[in-house]
Amino acid sequence: MSTIPATGRTEADRRSSARKRPSLWRQSLRRLMKNKLAVSGLVFLAFMFLICFLGPLFSPYADNKINTTIMNHAPYAKHWLGTDLLGRDVLTRLLQAGRISLTVGITSMLLSVFIGSLLGAIAGYYRGVVDQVILRFADLLLTVPNLPILFIFGALLSEWKVPTEYRMYMVMLMLSFVGWPGLARLIRGQMLSLREREFMQAATVLGLRDRRKLVHHLLPNLFPLIIVVATLNIGGAILSESVLSFFGLGVMPPTPTWGNMIDAANTIIDFEKHPWLWIPPGVSIFLTVIAINIFGDGLRDVLDPKQKK
Amino acid sequence: MVHSACAHISAIDRFIGVRQSQRLGGKHKPGRIGELGQHRGLRQRCAFGQCGSRRRSAANGLIQAADLSKLPETAKKRTDTVIVGLTDPSGAFTPYFTQSGYDGNVNSLLFTPLVTVDNKGVPIPALAEKWEISPDQLTYTFHLRKNAKFSDSTPVTADDVAFTWTILHDKAYDGDTDFSLVKVKGGQAYKDGKATSVEGIKIIDPETISVTLEQVNATALLYLGGEVLPKAYYGKDYKQGNLDTLKSLVTKPLGNGPYKLEKFIPGQEVRFVANENYYAGKPKIEHFIYKTTDGDTWQFIETGEQDFGGFSATQDNIDKLKKLGFLNIQPYIANNYGYIQFNHEHDALKDKRVRQALTYGLDRKTIYVDSNQGAAQVANIPASPVSWSYTEDGINPYNYDPVKAKALLDEAGWKVGASGIREKDGKKLTLHFIGSKKKTTDVLIAVAKENYAAIGVDFQPEQFADFNAQIAKYDSGDFDLVAFSTSLLTDPADGVVDFVNGNVNGYDNPKVKELYNKAIATTDIEQRKAIYKELYQVINDDLPYLFTSYNKSVYGYNGRIAGIEVNPSRGIAVSLPNWTLDPVK
Amino acid sequence: MSTYLTRRLTYMLLILFAASLLIFLLYALTPGDFVTSNIKLTAARKAELRELYGLNKPVLERYGIWIKNAFHGDFGFSLAQQKPVLTLFHDYIWNSFLLAATSTFFTWVFAVIIGVISAYKQYSWFDTLVMVFIFAAMSIPSFFIGLFLIKIFAVDLKWLPPGGMLTTGSNAVGMAYVREVLRHMTLPVAVMTLLGIGSLTRYFRSNMIDVIKQDFIRTARAKGMTERTVLYRHALRNALLPAITLVGFELPGLFGGSLIIEKIFNWPGIGQLYMQSFSVRDYPLLMGFTMLIAVLTVIGTLLSDILYHVADPRVKL
Repeated sequence: MSTIPATGRTEADRRSSARKRPSLWRQSLRRLMKNKLAVSGLVFLAFMFLICFLGPLFSPYADNKINTTIMNHAPYAKHWLGTDLLGRDVLTRLLQAGRISLTVGITSMLLSVFIGSLLGAIAGYYRGVVDQVILRFADLLLTVPNLPILFIFGALLSEWKVPTEYRMYMVMLMLSFVGWPGLARLIRGQMLSLREREFMQAATVLGLRDRRKLVHHLLPNLFPLIIVVATLNIGGAILSESVLSFFGLGVMPPTPTWGNMIDAANTIIDFEKHPWLWIPPGVSIFLTVIAINIFGDGLRDVLDPKQKK
Repeated sequence: MVHSACAHISAIDRFIGVRQSQRLGGKHKPGRIGELGQHRGLRQRCAFGQCGSRRRSAANGLIQAADLSKLPETAKKRTDTVIVGLTDPSGAFTPYFTQSGYDGNVNSLLFTPLVTVDNKGVPIPALAEKWEISPDQLTYTFHLRKNAKFSDSTPVTADDVAFTWTILHDKAYDGDTDFSLVKVKGGQAYKDGKATSVEGIKIIDPETISVTLEQVNATALLYLGGEVLPKAYYGKDYKQGNLDTLKSLVTKPLGNGPYKLEKFIPGQEVRFVANENYYAGKPKIEHFIYKTTDGDTWQFIETGEQDFGGFSATQDNIDKLKKLGFLNIQPYIANNYGYIQFNHEHDALKDKRVRQALTYGLDRKTIYVDSNQGAAQVANIPASPVSWSYTEDGINPYNYDPVKAKALLDEAGWKVGASGIREKDGKKLTLHFIGSKKKTTDVLIAVAKENYAAIGVDFQPEQFADFNAQIAKYDSGDFDLVAFSTSLLTDPADGVVDFVNGNVNGYDNPKVKELYNKAIATTDIEQRKAIYKELYQVINDDLPYLFTSYNKSVYGYNGRIAGIEVNPSRGIAVSLPNWTLDPVK
Repeated sequence: MSTYLTRRLTYMLLILFAASLLIFLLYALTPGDFVTSNIKLTAARKAELRELYGLNKPVLERYGIWIKNAFHGDFGFSLAQQKPVLTLFHDYIWNSFLLAATSTFFTWVFAVIIGVISAYKQYSWFDTLVMVFIFAAMSIPSFFIGLFLIKIFAVDLKWLPPGGMLTTGSNAVGMAYVREVLRHMTLPVAVMTLLGIGSLTRYFRSNMIDVIKQDFIRTARAKGMTERTVLYRHALRNALLPAITLVGFELPGLFGGSLIIEKIFNWPGIGQLYMQSFSVRDYPLLMGFTMLIAVLTVIGTLLSDILYHVADPRVKL
């Protein structure tokens, strides 16, 4: 039988305070490190970032100078991945492209996931008017087609004379703002069932405040779903940059991105005859997506309160 | 998928001589389409000039198929049908009432004009047997052929011609053909509703009709000599100001061309069957199909589902076509040209020396020829090599010469500043370029940035999501440089008209105007040739545009088909009735 | 339930109304209009045409005209094709529907099977293979897979047709027609399925993993139930039910068409039509199509919400 000590705190209290933030994260980190697959994913990502941001500094071709004598040359000693139609080194461009694709892909994914989860969670939790307003707004956004928005935004950027280097980022930002409804609905859906579970009833009975319920109890249960969706979206986000390029809202030539490098080879001729043009960027995106997803999976396994490993 | 205003290309065929007709004027019919489409929605095709001489080639560059036995089964099985690719016919198959250039290709098979043009752009009789122009050049009289019939065997009469000309003046007419440019007498009055018929049109007898203009206009012949619509069919409930009934018949055409419309499968095919009432006799091939395909697609030609396709004349494409073995390969150059337009209201660009410097300073050969594997030729005058007015006499080729460019800029007072960019009176030489999203523009931007930086010019490019958005920006005047191609030119005047009608912002050269007017004031081709030579020399020096390229393309077609000639202005329609499909050996 | 429905329906109408205004404004404000890109016209003629089409009126007035006509079921004439908008839809939309419906069906079937099996065998070689495959499908641009399959199956092996809905010049009717369409459908449906299967499989797998780890499964096993009963009667149902809500979201996709697939395979679908209409700013057609998708979207969300309640009765509507 537990006695009530002088300080007014029970055994249970002490134990719950022992489970406060720092130790949970440290525990999770330790478990994460044990998951070899997730670690390899993280390592690969780090490697990718490093070579993309630092690699071009060591390349003699970083100025993207046009060399008409070696157009569309297959890989050989001087150019490990060959050259493109203007004689520029594919490997260097691949790394330079990685900078943009990685930044853009991850940022826009983070942004839309953040907005979507936040709004979805709030809508699902509070129900009532807040829910209705958010839902209706989401519905409205879902029905609006993206294409005219892109064009109008592009025209506005042109009107406001925004330097072309920044336009792509602004457009991705704008796309994230417009792209959250889908994710929000998913999160809201999950939230709806979560809040009815017994542990939430217990939390209510205990008299916990909303913020605590949301942050300490509901959010960790939402993490698995959020992570799955987030990692799923990365590939899409990187590729959506190439869609933007297609509409002239991406980077200005000669700046390369993985998306527009792949695009440059979308004719049957390039596809068949110059595989070194599209295989490297394609493989880069593929490996990055896998790495992020593996890492995300590991993260999810670790953060999932239901996991008993 | 992104469209642009590039126009279409057709074949050059030097075997067809220039046929002299009584009074000649070259006139262009606006909106004439080459094969595989034109203006709106058209992707540029390239032409092929010098073919590799590994195969025996005819004087016009035609390479015979090496091995007809490689022809796919599907193609061998066809005995009376020819299939040609077309990007996107929409179904509006009546001339003057189409909005899409591709529908014009379909119409050219369904309807025959009074006057057509030969491969050099010289007018020749078609449905009209002959025509006369009065001494004051204001009245045109057309004589219809006695055996001209519509496909339902009713004869084509002067009534039909009058009807066609009349509705083109109607207030409710919303099509592409702008007859107000022809200035028919009484046309404006009809349009305003002040008259119930067009005064200048006179029916002399069922086979003869004359029309009087208010002003001499050498371009009028081809406008007036356009397609004829049957009055009994289209004009059934026609009342002045109301074209609704007519519009409802646009998708169910009744014409007088070599083929009749058999079936239209939206998004897939347009099927034709030979017209036995065609004035020149029933076409030899019974069935014709326009298959909806995207420009550079190969899979249909490779598998034999398509007999005829156009491709950019890159070395890769040509090699691939040759490898297939069962295709005849016909190179051609479009009757149009590409250019970069200067905004002459920009202070720096007002100076001829700056414009010349920019031309010397841009490596056009790399951009258009080398990086394109030879699928284009550098342009220096506003006329294509296939046009009768083309000349290289006294024309400066502006070969890439950055040293000369720098000298010219120095001379013009633009001195290199601290940042490496030239300055004059405290202003930097910054040029704002607007372009659409195309591969060639990408290359242009990449190279131009480098080239111009080397001569001290700050090149600021901007790309637009589609052609429409680009034009909207262009209309607003907020640009310094913009890259375009002209649409298909029929008469050389088409290629220079923009220099005199104010379409080039801020450009006004009295000498150019004088020569332009001189050239359309006469209908004698030799005289006009000389005038155009002088005009081109002036333009070549003054550079209202930075001329860029002539695109080269190739047609690849089933080796079994004989008789194919592609007219630079009229496409395949002119030679189609004479095509034959040789039996498989 | 009925009060919920009436409330939702009122919301839906309001949203559609607001959406129509917003969408109309968006299209009207997109740079360039129907007349702009026709560079052959003189400025005077362009002005004349704008007047003829009513494009020079203020935006709100144009919207008013459109919505009034729309209420009477008149969605206007396509500017570019001179045909009633609804007729044009009818010509193209069922082709898109055919592809979308078939591929959605296969996507779901395969996603469920693969997702469940790989969840059950988590961390096995099968699971890893599946995951790699999913990521590949999600990181490769669609036109690539399309071109690749066409090259292999149509051009090199000649097993399947290279594109189009029918062989050119074919006059097949009845069963022969059906067979031809099926043959032509195979590649496009394969590509669409490959592209869509990734995320759905991952979703099912994730759900299944969650469910399997729960206590009631442990209880069921402890009670001695066969693995099959545990899997099918208990785990599967709980894992799949939340996914039912996704069905509602598929509705607009069934009629939306896919631009890239249709372009690569020459399929006469509505995606291509939309893109072309957008390039030339064919407003009546754009509005008609977007509103159609909007209607389907709101219906879809309504369906989703109701199905969610059906799946998990603890969730109040």
